[in-house]
Amino acid sequence: MSRVAREKPGPLEYHRRWPLQLIVGATFFFLYFPLIILMVFSFNDSRRNIVWQGFTFDYYEKVFKNAELIEAFGNSLTIAFFCTIISVILGALTAVMLWRFRFPGKTAVEGAMALPIVVPEICMGVAMLVFFAKIMPWPSGMPWPLNLGAIIIAHVSFAFPFVATVVRARLASFNRELEEAAKDLGASEWRTFWDVLVPHMQPGLIAGALLAFTLSLDDFVITFFTAGPDTITFPVKVYSMLRFSVTPEVNAASTILIVVTVALTAIGLHLQNQSENKKLKP
Amino acid sequence: MAKGKYLRGASRRSILQQFGAAAVGISFSGGLAACGKGGGEARKLNFYNWDTYIGETTLDDFKAASGVEVTMTKFANNDELFAQFRGGNKGYDVIVPSNEYVTRMSQAGLLMELDRAKIPNFSNLSPEFQDAPFDPARRYSMPYTWLTLGIGYRKNKVQGVPDSWRWLFDSNRYSGRIAVLGESADLIRLCAKYKGHSLNNISETVLSEIEQMLIRQKPHIKAFHEDDGQDLLVSGEVDIVMEYCGDIAQVIADDPEIGWVIPNEGTLINQDCLCIPVGAPNPDDAHAFINYLLDAEAGKKISEAIQYPTPNAAVRALMPDAYKNNPVIFASAEIMAKSEYGAFEGDERSRRFEEMFTRISAA
Amino acid sequence: MEQTWRQARGAFAAIAAPPLVWLLLFFLVPLGVIWAYSFGENVGPITIDLTGTFANYMRALEPLYLGIFGKSVIVAGVTTLLCLLVGFPVALAIAFASPRMKAWLLLLIMLPFWTNLLIRTFALIAVLREQGYVNFGIEWFWNLASSARELVGMAPLGDYEPLTLLYNNAAVIVGLVYVHLPFMVLPLYSALDRMDRSLMEASLDLGAGHLRTILLVVVPLAAPGIASGVLITFIPALGSYLTPDLLGGTDSQMIANVIERQFKKANDWPFGAALSFLLMYLTFFAIAAQALIQRKPGRR
Repeated sequence: MSRVAREKPGPLEYHRRWPLQLIVGATFFFLYFPLIILMVFSFNDSRRNIVWQGFTFDYYEKVFKNAELIEAFGNSLTIAFFCTIISVILGALTAVMLWRFRFPGKTAVEGAMALPIVVPEICMGVAMLVFFAKIMPWPSGMPWPLNLGAIIIAHVSFAFPFVATVVRARLASFNRELEEAAKDLGASEWRTFWDVLVPHMQPGLIAGALLAFTLSLDDFVITFFTAGPDTITFPVKVYSMLRFSVTPEVNAASTILIVVTVALTAIGLHLQNQSENKKLKP
Repeated sequence: MAKGKYLRGASRRSILQQFGAAAVGISFSGGLAACGKGGGEARKLNFYNWDTYIGETTLDDFKAASGVEVTMTKFANNDELFAQFRGGNKGYDVIVPSNEYVTRMSQAGLLMELDRAKIPNFSNLSPEFQDAPFDPARRYSMPYTWLTLGIGYRKNKVQGVPDSWRWLFDSNRYSGRIAVLGESADLIRLCAKYKGHSLNNISETVLSEIEQMLIRQKPHIKAFHEDDGQDLLVSGEVDIVMEYCGDIAQVIADDPEIGWVIPNEGTLINQDCLCIPVGAPNPDDAHAFINYLLDAEAGKKISEAIQYPTPNAAVRALMPDAYKNNPVIFASAEIMAKSEYGAFEGDERSRRFEEMFTRISAA
Repeated sequence: MEQTWRQARGAFAAIAAPPLVWLLLFFLVPLGVIWAYSFGENVGPITIDLTGTFANYMRALEPLYLGIFGKSVIVAGVTTLLCLLVGFPVALAIAFASPRMKAWLLLLIMLPFWTNLLIRTFALIAVLREQGYVNFGIEWFWNLASSARELVGMAPLGDYEPLTLLYNNAAVIVGLVYVHLPFMVLPLYSALDRMDRSLMEASLDLGAGHLRTILLVVVPLAAPGIASGVLITFIPALGSYLTPDLLGGTDSQMIANVIERQFKKANDWPFGAALSFLLMYLTFFAIAAQALIQRKPGRR
């Protein structure tokens, strides 16, 4: 089938039509050109990224010797990992709740859910600072990863409404009769949810998870106000390095981050493809 | 990061200020560190410092001398430091606020009074640094370094030496090639200096004159920079920029086409100070650490690494002439006589400065 | 049809409890404190008295701050529009790609955003500055044209004067689009994916062109996705302050810059809180407006 399609785009194969290909290509150029320059210049033998001075691995060596940076990197990934899991669960539940039920105070809940998206970061950062200082002090000196708990909580609070928004948009296209049919056929609430609703939500869940992961990995302001002396994250560390100037060392660290993410995602995609292939051939 | 001879970095009060950054280093001590003493457990100290603002081996040397392991975490600017400590001390033992913030934090009851008996190296300090207008009798702070604001410029793009604030604040000669620090208080105070007034207790009339002047000048200014002025200068984006001495000294090492001058009208001096915040888990070790930083040999290693002016007479005596007589590091006595520290004049005043800056930006 | 919660109390409790408890405890309580501060007065360097005053809001409603609000809304609006114009075709292409391609394209869209925001912004600066690659590229063509003129005996062009691409409002908008594009693409993709394609095929079979089909069939079908994309692009754009700071000129300040300065330099938390909440009230108007748009197609 794909061989036939390769000859002439089918009516709905938009990704194979040239105007769209042009737009997609230009978009990717816009997104990637600065990053490619950044990656190239992480090998530049000069502290200032203006002209090419020669090839070097020095800055990679420095990154690998920088224990604080590596620890910060680990913390960031840990936080993003937990934040993504919790946010996807809470976000999906929120979306289903708002989509499925009528209940008193629904409008208020909808409004409150929009708040974390609306609130300026700095305001939320200060709110978290006061909360963890005065209302619910997070004990310091807890063993890893519990010491990251306060940051994870803060991240989930701003990330899960984003997930809810995306998943809800997805649910809008769900045919409710399917759910009712499943229940009429005797499926329990849980089975209906798990076997009917979740598969439909899946693209929304994936998009939401990506969003939550990104938001958590990139957050700096709220983390800054939530973190103590024993919890450093990658953005916080990078900001302190960038203050010193945009050195190739920062570029090297970012390049490693990009390469690691691509590798992890490629492995993930590969595993997913394998399991799908297995399903097809029992 | 703080490798080699690069001076302390780029944007001391940089970007991060917008972002509220501060590197929080690795340490597992936190509030529990207090129990370290006496037992077999290692003693630990949390030091909250500016980036690239310490000697390469200073922390290891201190550990060898005292057995206390120091974990250094980094902050980006005083506002963030203050905002963080409004929420309580999260386990820091020694912090490094600048002069105005020493006043501000001590007034807010966030600093612990220092026990002079535990800091015998106090006598190493130059007499003029043994007292300070912003901290009478040095009850809360010990001087660590000091620094001046001035003008960095690209030599082949300016006429002569731009030795007046006029070229930044009140002239179209370098229209579109100017960047000034987007820090309300510093900016307004230096404008007052340019107009021949003291940079403290600026009168209302002068303030409104300054506001008019900056609104008039705004079209000629390319950017209010976030303490990354030296980057703008190096990349050729602007030709003349208001910056801290160390930031410019750093890029002069890379690019000899860049010059530095402190304008004839005089300038604003800052002093970064060692303080112990209230709630510090290990005040005794904190005192010992401050004392160590004021030691002549230890201080020499710090000054060699960061290339900032030292307030320590014993250290200065040990330093080579290339440091002692460097005009970028130490301003001339004549200029220093015309320069002043900016005093903390109360929160109302900072708010007034902020509102002025907001109005100027919005105009 | 939506159920009332009474029809399935158990299910409702199981679904609603976790997010509601979380929202209340870890979001509404902290934010409530700041909200209370917006009615407070500074009585000391770190003490705020909750006096119930409206003075902070009165000050926030002064023309100075309203003007900055207005400007921020315009900048964020233009950003959102550009994101939509660019993001829609991209989301369309992704939604109709093969599953494997789809995963890779989604990854490609998201990947830049796993790079730190500040690093990305600096990467953009390195490209756009006077000695950046855009200017280098134009200079190369300029010199080429100049030598071409010489070849045909015309006077060569003068030296290339680099374009000033940074430190103005256009640079801020480019930077905001750069940063916020995935916020638009993801919800659009999720709405377009598995959209009922028979409607599109029908439209095409009946002779409507692709553009007409997209405008008249796809866009209405994707309306909820567009609305949520616009929402989650516009709001963060409205609240951004790093981009205007780093890419903007002397008149590019946005409201979030002012808010941020209140919480830090000015040490005026009550006023910062009042400005923040005013911003939130304004955004709620936008959300309410969008909710109306979203509901319309459903009622047909």
